Amino acid sequence: MISVAQDSGGAKAVDKWFDRASPTFRCVIDTTHQISSLFGWVNLPCAAWIDEQGRVVRSNEGVLPAEMGVNLGVVKLIAGDSSFSDATRDWIEHGAASEHVLSSAKLAEQTKPVTDETLLAEAEFKLALHFEAQGDKGRARRHFATASELAPDNWLYLRQGWTASRSRAYSDLKSYRRMSRLNKNTDKVFSDRTGLPGENYRRFTLPEWFWTPMLQRFKQRRRR
Amino acid sequence: MIVIADGKTTEAAQRSDDHETDDHENLWLKLDELPAATGWQMKPEGACLGELCVPLPESKRAEWTVDTEDGAWLNYSEFADMIGQKQAHDGDVWSLSSVPEVRRSGLESAIAPDFEVAERNGDTLRLSDLRGRKVVLFTWSSW
Repeated sequence: MISVAQDSGGAKAVDKWFDRASPTFRCVIDTTHQISSLFGWVNLPCAAWIDEQGRVVRSNEGVLPAEMGVNLGVVKLIAGDSSFSDATRDWIEHGAASEHVLSSAKLAEQTKPVTDETLLAEAEFKLALHFEAQGDKGRARRHFATASELAPDNWLYLRQGWTASRSRAYSDLKSYRRMSRLNKNTDKVFSDRTGLPGENYRRFTLPEWFWTPMLQRFKQRRRR
Repeated sequence: MIVIADGKTTEAAQRSDDHETDDHENLWLKLDELPAATGWQMKPEGACLGELCVPLPESKRAEWTVDTEDGAWLNYSEFADMIGQKQAHDGDVWSLSSVPEVRRSGLESAIAPDFEVAERNGDTLRLSDLRGRKVVLFTWSSW
């Protein structure tokens, strides 16, 4: 089990989460998002299974565990479920015979294609991460934005880009609104559906009519 | 000059005759710094990255390589264009995408792309060292 904190904030940002988990597994901090680039992943949490021969048998898997949720005091909104951990246990026990192992055709279908735009976006994103690490937020913002424009379905570029944004709340609002819009237009919100339920962000998003008046009010306030 | 490639950031020399050529749109790399900066290595059969070797086109060799008093240089931008690797730069910071051929061959064979990263406890974790065991790899972040 390898837990990869993919976060430009490095140890400072992620240590408390690792410490709280008292991990018994391998822990890695990937500040440059190298692993997602190699696997072609566009959001997180995301997962892959790799068998004893080094073959990928499941990948680009949106994983939201049962423990993940928002506690509002009276009610707790549960984000995920145990389907991924149950499936993982099944694979560990049964290996290639597990019903959750994907055929190579299904795996290929689920993997994002490598295009000129996604490659250029990757280069821009890495440039943004470099400038962010150097404390040059202006240039970081510019390159995060370019990466996001080139690869609009890459939530990593967008969400990691928030860390360099001027106003976190404002960019959150804009991003969730974009997510709502994408939800309306496509079934492929996060990773493609894999057959395991509870794996994407669909349930978090609100309809477009909710965002529009809210954004307008927010923009007006900013202008004043 | 700074080159970002394959999860690594390296400093590389800039051509001292750059002001004469006025070539700021191309990334020129010294051949002896090429492996550290990009992973590619010049061999008699061409430029090689692991087992993948790409010959330089004969007609372009004179244009893409140059010898100065500092050493031999390669116009990496032209080479990257040829293999479909994308590059972005801002001032003297250059960023290179993954090599498309490497990504595509990984997709076809379904062999997990290898990586080497530092573990939290200071050890180095290389994915290929875990052959013979099942691996569950997952990503998360603080944001």
